[in-house]
Amino acid sequence: MLLFDHVSKSFGDLRAVDDLSFELEAGEVFGLLGPNGAGKTTAINMAVGLLEPDEGVVRFAGETFDRDPREAENRQALGLAPQSIALYEEMSSADNLRFFGRLHGLKGPDLEERVAACLDFADLTDVRKKSVSKYSGGMKRRLNLAVAIIHDPDLVLLDEPTVGVDPQSRNAIFDRVEQLRDDGKQIVYTTHYMEEAQRLCDRVAIMDRGRLMALDTVRALIEAYGGPGKLAVRTGDKESIHDTTDPLGTLAQLQERETVEHFQYRPPDLETVFLNLTGRALRD
Amino acid sequence: MSKIVAMAAKDIWILFRDKLGFFFTVFFPLMMAIFFGAMFANLSRGPANIPVALVDEDRTAGSERFVTRLEAAGGLELEQLPREQALEQVRRGQTAVMVTLSPGFGAAMDNPFQTTPRVELAVDPTQFAAAGMTRGILLETAGAELQALMADSARIQATNDRNRRLIEQFTPPSAARDDFLTFIELSSRVSTLVEQLGLDGNATNAVTGGFGPPLEIGQTEVQAERRGPTNSYASSFPQAMLWVLIGGSVSFSMSIAIERSRGTLMRLLVSPITTRHLLAAKGLACLTTTLVTSTALITLGITVFRVKPTSYPLLALALLCASICFCGIMMALSVIGKTEQAAAGVGWGLALPFSMLGGGMVPLFLMPEWMQRLGNISPMKWTLMAYEGAIWRGFTLTEMLLPCAVLLTIGVVAFAIGARNLRWHTG
Ligand SMILES: Nc1ncnc2c1ncn2[C@@H]1O[C@H](COP(=O)(O)OP(=O)(O)O)[C@@H](O)[C@H]1O
Ligand SMILES: [Mg+2]
Repeated sequence: MLLFDHVSKSFGDLRAVDDLSFELEAGEVFGLLGPNGAGKTTAINMAVGLLEPDEGVVRFAGETFDRDPREAENRQALGLAPQSIALYEEMSSADNLRFFGRLHGLKGPDLEERVAACLDFADLTDVRKKSVSKYSGGMKRRLNLAVAIIHDPDLVLLDEPTVGVDPQSRNAIFDRVEQLRDDGKQIVYTTHYMEEAQRLCDRVAIMDRGRLMALDTVRALIEAYGGPGKLAVRTGDKESIHDTTDPLGTLAQLQERETVEHFQYRPPDLETVFLNLTGRALRD
Repeated sequence: MSKIVAMAAKDIWILFRDKLGFFFTVFFPLMMAIFFGAMFANLSRGPANIPVALVDEDRTAGSERFVTRLEAAGGLELEQLPREQALEQVRRGQTAVMVTLSPGFGAAMDNPFQTTPRVELAVDPTQFAAAGMTRGILLETAGAELQALMADSARIQATNDRNRRLIEQFTPPSAARDDFLTFIELSSRVSTLVEQLGLDGNATNAVTGGFGPPLEIGQTEVQAERRGPTNSYASSFPQAMLWVLIGGSVSFSMSIAIERSRGTLMRLLVSPITTRHLLAAKGLACLTTTLVTSTALITLGITVFRVKPTSYPLLALALLCASICFCGIMMALSVIGKTEQAAAGVGWGLALPFSMLGGGMVPLFLMPEWMQRLGNISPMKWTLMAYEGAIWRGFTLTEMLLPCAVLLTIGVVAFAIGARNLRWHTG
């Protein structure tokens, strides 16, 4: 569906995306992970035709990947929920959906049907006539997502869709993304929250400073880069933490020496993988 | 096409929702038209007298007595001129009305029972107010003259005697002649009675009023060459229409900047429309708004404030060219000012000095020559030229071509600059 083939993009001296290659597989949720400034949004902008790559090609759709997103009509098949909320604040949610629906060639009963479906999807049916400026952050986020799918695109790109929302809204957004996946959409999901990627994504690409650090399923990445898990044990009034890839074996060894009153095991997760790959230095 | 219309409709809807945009595009120009129109209307009416060129072709004691009385009546600034000069003055618009006293006027004035005295006015059709006031003052003066005549029994007796002699000399005896002589006799008795009763002026008027209007006034129209607007609203409405364009173009350039900073511009560019579609929509929205608002404004001017365009087709042409010009400027402004604040700052920062220079604040015809020439660098000046050309300057199509060509050129160049540099990101 979407293909990046040795794609690079620079802003002046800054190489925002550096030799990025990947290919989406059918029906998957593809995670694009990376700290701030990794080049995720730049990659997304090239995927939707807003930016032209300096090197390499971005193509989507078709067996042979022959469609260039820079051509207007080819963008009919994709929907973008931008990182920052992009809505007409003066208009109601229904009117926002209606307007973008028209831009995608919808009209008449088809348009109204899609508007109703998207309002329902975003859980905004009750407030559909209120102007967006009166919405909460979470409601705007959900509408931002709904507008991206008004024309029922095959490929949905979500650029950090959960930034600045409360846990309830975030959970609601996860549900929506899963719903989209179940509807057979292909999804590109960028985030720097690892637990989101772990929950939602089939495969993840980890980027840093424009470069692709790793690309695989979550499980494979953890196996490859997760390192040992952490086993915490309490014996008497002593507590200790042990790095281990075999928690049961380690526990048995410890039991031989003293009585373990309490233990807790934390397996390696994507966060560990991420930190191992991108280092612990602070980013802006 | 329907996508372009959808985008344009959205822009117009948002503009009219935005109170500030609405204010600058619709309300402020309207206020300005009425405010300046009323202000200059009062100034020009003022205490000043109506300039009147008086042509006395009678040159009798009667006509001279009338002129003296007219001068004393006040309200008119009389200048006695030969016929040709007087007419020339009306044509040049230097004098509002020409009043002609033809030969025989003095005799008629002395003998109102025989023929009603008659004067001829020549006025420019747009000077309807001045003509009306002049008529009033003429009637008043003739009334006063008649009243004086009635009160002067010696004079009226002399007139009656002369009339009797003339009638007896030129007509054979008949019943009609006898009736007429009786009538003359009676009218001389009226004046004697007036004198004996010691009636005051009003009572005399009431008694003698039965003789009909003391003066007949004929009127012909003389087309004046336009030097200034026909009425003050004819000057304030073009200015107001210019402010529609200024307000509209600044508001729309701000709307593009807002779309950019809010991210909706990016969203538009991700949807399956081309940049060309987007530009067409913005242009269409701006053009529709300015055309509709300007048309509404000038319609109000025509129907309520008696603005009389000299040519409707040329006015339509001027409106179209000026709107295109300012929608082009709107595009250029929107790439200079990246954010809403910057767009507003750049927009108004350029609009104010350029409109000052171009006659958007003080009317062009009140400006000194050199300032008018300096104004040539301002699109506002060309807009006003075109508007005024169609509203009161009486431009021909050829005269209209220059301002229209300048406006179209500015518009197309500015639009191209804006379109080439349109970016969806603020960076
Ligand atoms: N339009 C632009 N002009 C200049 N630099 C940019 C632009 N867009 C992004 N960048 C820079 O490119 C780098 C990658 O940015 P971005 O793709 O937004 O990262 P991410 O989305 O992963 O946080 C950053 O250093 C950012 O400052
Ligand atoms: Mg980003």
